[in-house]
Formats: sequence, structure tokens, C-alpha cells
Amino acid sequence: MGTYVIRRLLQMIPVILGATFLIFTMVFALPGDPLAGKCGERPCPPAYAAAFREKYNLNDPLPIQYGKYVGNLAQGDFGETTNGIKVIDQLKARYPITAQLALMALAFEAIIGITVGVFTGIRRGGFLDNLVLISTLVVISIPVFVVGGLSQYFLGVRLGLFPVTVTSANPTFYQLMLPAMVLGSISLAYISRLTRTSLVENLRSDYVRTATAKGLRRRRAVGLHALRNSLIPVVTFIGFDFGFLLGGAIVTEAIFNIPGVGGYLFRSIRARDGASVVGTVTVLVIVFLFVNLLVDLLYGLLDPRISHD
Amino acid sequence: MRGTTRKVAVAALSAVALLAAGCGSGEEGETDTPAAEAKTGGEITVRGCNPENPLIPQNTTETCGGTVIDAVFSKLVHYEPETAAPKNDIAESIETEDNQTFTVKLKQGYKFHDGTEVKAKNFVDAWNYGAYAPNAQSSGYFMEPIEGFADLQCAGTANPEDPCEGFTPKAKEMTGLKVVDDHTFTIKTSEKVSNLPVRLGYSAFSPLPDVFFADPEAFGDKPIGSGPFKLDSWTKEQAIVLSKFADYSGEFGAKLDKINYKIYQDADAAYNDVLANNLDATDEIPTSALIDDKYKTDLPDRNAQKEEGVIQTVTFAPVNVDPLYADPKIRQAISMAIDRETIIKQIFNGTRVPATGWVSPVVDGYKADQCGEFCKFDPAKAKALLQEAGGFKGDKITLAYNADAAHKDWTEATCNSIKQALGVECAAVGVVDFATLRQQVGDRKQKGMFRTGWQMDYPSIENFLAPIYKTGASSNDGDYSNPEFDALLTEAAAQQDPAAANAKYQEAEALLAADMPSIPLWYGKATVGWSDKVTGVKITAFGTIDYSSLALK
Repeated sequence: MGTYVIRRLLQMIPVILGATFLIFTMVFALPGDPLAGKCGERPCPPAYAAAFREKYNLNDPLPIQYGKYVGNLAQGDFGETTNGIKVIDQLKARYPITAQLALMALAFEAIIGITVGVFTGIRRGGFLDNLVLISTLVVISIPVFVVGGLSQYFLGVRLGLFPVTVTSANPTFYQLMLPAMVLGSISLAYISRLTRTSLVENLRSDYVRTATAKGLRRRRAVGLHALRNSLIPVVTFIGFDFGFLLGGAIVTEAIFNIPGVGGYLFRSIRARDGASVVGTVTVLVIVFLFVNLLVDLLYGLLDPRISHD
Repeated sequence: MRGTTRKVAVAALSAVALLAAGCGSGEEGETDTPAAEAKTGGEITVRGCNPENPLIPQNTTETCGGTVIDAVFSKLVHYEPETAAPKNDIAESIETEDNQTFTVKLKQGYKFHDGTEVKAKNFVDAWNYGAYAPNAQSSGYFMEPIEGFADLQCAGTANPEDPCEGFTPKAKEMTGLKVVDDHTFTIKTSEKVSNLPVRLGYSAFSPLPDVFFADPEAFGDKPIGSGPFKLDSWTKEQAIVLSKFADYSGEFGAKLDKINYKIYQDADAAYNDVLANNLDATDEIPTSALIDDKYKTDLPDRNAQKEEGVIQTVTFAPVNVDPLYADPKIRQAISMAIDRETIIKQIFNGTRVPATGWVSPVVDGYKADQCGEFCKFDPAKAKALLQEAGGFKGDKITLAYNADAAHKDWTEATCNSIKQALGVECAAVGVVDFATLRQQVGDRKQKGMFRTGWQMDYPSIENFLAPIYKTGASSNDGDYSNPEFDALLTEAAAQQDPAAANAKYQEAEALLAADMPSIPLWYGKATVGWSDKVTGVKITAFGTIDYSSLALK
């Protein structure tokens, strides 16, 4: 397993380089002017514009810009945003918040999703199964901004049960609860369905029948044998979802004004702020790679038939 | 025509006379706080946005940083939030005999937040710093009228993109600025300027303390001004905290002890916080709340809307670039074919005001209906006028806009309106971004009509005319040239009496209707909302909330 991990870690290097280059090129190719809005509703004076282009290397051709960027990156310098803020400071401040939010959403969707999935899987075709089927269908078909906007308005503004927005550098558990539930709601629906389908399939398999035949109690046969194998697609999904939640919480972060990575990424893309976009995405890529490695290692634990040696 | 009836109370307020008379009208300024009595002190939280530049007054022309700068820096002149009329702040008097040499006397006792006194040299040094091109300050161009400005500019040829490369300007100080003593300095302009005192209220003309010049970069993070509020902290991307400056000696002091700007990414989030009374004021109402005036029922008696100094126009390419639109009658016909009211209602949810001239109603010198019938929707007359001019010779009218901002909807609606009224094909053409559009316009390659807007630099009628329509002016995108117009501007600049100057400017504006260098579409309007804790919310002519008059109930 050790060599497997090392091989995977080494594979990450070209992936990270390739990803940063692709992102950098895409930001470079984006239409839009980084100077737009810097001087209000009018074009910037030439001296100001020239100094700005000079400072952010905007006059250089793409390979040189990228070379300068990677050179700085190798020394741990993530560069500056176009409004003169150090990207590294923003990443340090924002990633923990988004990570907290993503973990809370993940816990929410995993605990409830798997529980619901198991219950519906065991009693397939029952009332609960149908109820969950319909309600998850509803949740999946409603976009997150509707869920977010409505829950913010009714639970936050009207009933005052939750804070309306977060807007804090150190958000509390309570402040992030509503956003985490909104963020996790769609994945919750997927997880419960995934668990259910996978469990139903495994319950029909030979080893479960054997386990039951040799006299194992149903609870043990389902809980230990069937569920463990059924969790493989669920764990894959959760691992993928964590990375997705980190970078994809744009809508939720905007609705609840959470100073996390999603909103930052969105705004930076719109402002064509190369340094911020590439810096944020680089960290995202690294997180993605590590989570996927973790997921692959978990397979071995869940299903002894999978081996990494 | 809702909203256009508001008159700016300037007729009797003669700017220079008032300024020269000193600060005679201290208490009259505080007029119309609603019934609820305001108390002093207390702390509020308002919506903020990310300043785009370091907080240096000479380098900020956008509103996110501008609102903070305005609260932190006091200027020679303060604009009344209601009328945009200038009143002396640091200036004791600004006097001139000939509209060319101005003697500025400062009040004693004004202090910067670091305790040093505001002296004449603080102004002179700050303005020179702003004007000196290698410092690359975005508001440097405000100093242009001052004698010697040209010597501080770059004219290098090494790099066409950057005139400052390998070039050092002739001088670092403008010859037109002279310190007489600690509390007096003189300004000499290269041409006659009748409204200089009105201009001096803009943040570009703020004084800077000596500590600025030691380390401008550190200053940009924690500016030290002489305004009613001092900046306590700026947590990038999250919050800006201002507190009352105890030693502020002027008459526009703060009522509140503390203002927290919470930075929001999204107007909806800020708005919902105002609804829940978690946020005390927002100067941006989201589109979702503007539809059917929803904000008025959400925030009864806690909302306000007011015109700001922004005008949207459509400019015609210069005649030698696109001769199809040369005949003023064709231009007038197109203008009359635009149903401004409907477009404003359908596309902007009523957040614009149909333009009746080329000057925003918020400024000193505004006169309504300068465009007359040519800015009123009248498809029959428009068609008749077009026929009189012999019809449109090209195959279609084009209206170019920059596609990187929300201009597609209204340009298409405008084109549809033209098409329906005139029976001539009209197409809205997206240009990839603002910079590209400006480049094409600047190189005189953009044909047909294109969108232009103007955000005022200072609240004066002159600012809506001279920089845009004077022969050879910096923003004269349509190469408009009318000797009569130019002559009137020169005459106006020489007038001693501001009312007489404004009258001349109005005469000049009226000439635009005959030539139609651009089509006035609508004026911008700012909409704000606030919580039930605060009172005295006033919108300035720049569309921002005036924080020094804000107070807790």
C-alpha cells in the first residue's frame, strides 16, 4: 500500500501543473477587462492604466505571464488580487470557513442520507420508501438558489430561527447550520437514493443469502455485510462531493454572504483576476486529489476484495 | 415624467458668493430629518463593498472606496447632500477677481486624525502628488485646469502603451499652486474657470497629511484624513470600521460614534439583513425587490430614491467615420423613436428617469426640457422627420454596447423601439468588453451609434458639457464641434456671477438639441433602504448615503 500511495502522490505533480496551466490559459482567454470598474463608470486615465498593467504583468504574452506566476508560486507567493490584496491571506481566511461549511453539509447529508437510504432499502416498496422517493425527487428538481432563498426568507427573516446572513470571519456552528443544510440538501437526496439502490441490489446477492442461511441475524447480515459493500458508491460520491462543495458553494455563499471560497472564486472570474482564480483552484485541485486518494484507500477497508498491493 | 419635477435649489444659491461670505449658514443646513428625533452617538452597521484601490483620495473614483473616503476626508468644500450645493468646509473663503487666480484661506483648527494641523501645504502637496503622472493616480486629471499641469505629464514614446516608460516629466510641482502662509494658498488656472470652488469638494482635492508621503502604500491601508470619521480598521474583503473623530472642528461632524461597513457579495443578502433589522442601511436594492416596487412594501417609510449624477446617452460616430447619421434630422428622428418611459419601466423597474436634456437634474445649473420635443416619444413625428431628411440610407441602424455588463436588454429594447417607430431595421451589437468598445470609439473605428454614459466628477452643469461636447475635449467621442457652443462655454467660464455662468451653460446646452451629437436617454437613480433603528438618511448627488447626517433614533 505504501508504494501505491507514493505513486499516487507523484502523479499529483503533473496534474497540478497541468490544471494551473489550463486555468491560467482560460482566465487569460476570458473576455473582459480587469480595469473595468476600477475607476467607476468611466475609462481609467492612461497613466493609471499603464501602471496597473505593468504591476500585474498584463502586457506580457501568456507563456511569460504563466512562467512568472509559477515561479512565484514555487516560492509560496500566490500573488495579489487586482485590488491589491494578497491572495494567500484570502485563501487562509476563506478556506477554513468553506471547509467548515462543507464538512457540516457533508455530515448532514451523510448521516441523514445513509440512514434514510438504509431504512428505505430494507423496506422496499413501503410507505416510507415512496415518501422518500417523491420528496427526494422534489428536492433534486428545485435549484439550490430557490431552496436557499426561501429558507433564508422564511426561517431567517420571517421566523427568526436562524441568522439571516453569516458575514463573519469566524462563523459559529449555529450561524452555518442553515447554509449547511441548504448546501447539503441536494446531495442528501442523491445519497439516500444511492444507498437505497445499492443496498437493495446487495441484499439480493449470494453472500447475504449465505449469511442469512447460516443463521446470522438479519440486523447483522444487513449491517455488517450488505451495508459495507453498498457504501462503496456512496463513499465515492461523498469524496467527490466534498471537493464539489468546497468550490461549488458559490450560490449558497452568496445567499448567506459567507466569506468563503465560492463567492471569491466567482467574483475573481468575473473580474478576470488571474492570480486569485488560479490560486484558489490550485488549492481546490490539491484537495480534490487528496480526497480521491483517501476514497481509494477507503475502498480497501470497505471491501476486502479490493487491494492496493 | 415621474421624478423629473424636482428642482435643484440653486437659483438663489450663488456658489461663489456663498463661499466668499464664509460659513454664515451653519445651522440652516440641518433641515429635514423626519419627525423621529435623532440622537447623537451609537453604532450602526451598513452595507459596504470592496474598495477597488488603496484608500487614497487622489486614487479613488469608484463608489465602493468613495463612500469611505468621503467620510474619512474633509475637503475645502462640502456638498450639501440634498441639493449638491457647495458649502465651505475647511475653506474659510475662496476668492477670485478674474476666475483665474483664486486665493484660498483655510479655517484654523482643522486637524488630521494623527493630530497634525491641516495646513495649506497639505493641499498643495496632495494635489501635486495626484497630478504627477508617474504616481499613476486615477483622479490626477481633476488637476488639469491648474497651471503647469501639463509639465507633470508623461510624453514618452518608448512604449505606446505607457507614456511614462523611460520618461520623467519636466516638473514635480504645478506652477499654479503657491503656498502663501500656513493657512493661505493660491490656485492659478491656465484658463478661466468660473466653477472651480464647486469642483473643490470632490475627494481628489482632499488634503493629505505629511505622513502620507513617507509611505503611501501603508497609508492606503489605513488612511489618515481630516474628516468627521477616522478609519479604525479595514479587514480586507470583510469589514471596514470607522469611528467618530473627536477633534473634528468643522460643521459637518458625525452624529454616530461608529460605523461598521460589512462587505456583502450580493445585494440580496444585504437586503434580507435589512429586512431582519440586522443591517442598518444598504445603498443597493436588489432587482428582485425593485420589481413592482416590492421594497416599498417591505420597508415602508424606510426607503428613498433619488436621481444621481449619471446620464446614459447614445452617441453617433463622427461624420467622417459614419456619414449615414450626419443629418441632425435623422438623429432627432431616432431620438423621438425611443420610448424611454416604457423601457425604464420594463427593463429598469423604474430606477431611471427619462432624460429631457444632457445635464443631470442633480447639479448646479440644471434646466429641464433642454432637449424639448426631440426627447419625447412620438413615432408619427419621428417618421415624418425621417422622411423629411430623405429616409435612412443604410440598410440598418446599429447600436453598439459592451457585452461585459448588463447593457444587452436595454440596447435591444431601444432598437426595437426605433425599428417599430421608424420602420428601419435596427440592431444592437455587442462588443466583447468595455475596453474594446472604448478602444474602437477612441480610434474612431466604431460606426453607427454606440452607448456612452457619463458619471459626473463634480455637481456642476459644466461637467456635463465641456468634457464631452467641447471641440477636441477628452470625452468628445462623436467629434462634435460647434464654434458657437465653444464660445458660450468660454464666456460662461469667464462669468463672475455663478448664476450668469449657469445661464450661459444652459444656452450652450440648448444648442445641442439642434445638432444632436448624442441622444440623452435617462438619468441614473439611487435606491436605498434602512432599518427601523436609524433616521436622517440622505442620498447625495453621487448616489451614496451621506453618513455624517445619519443617526440613531
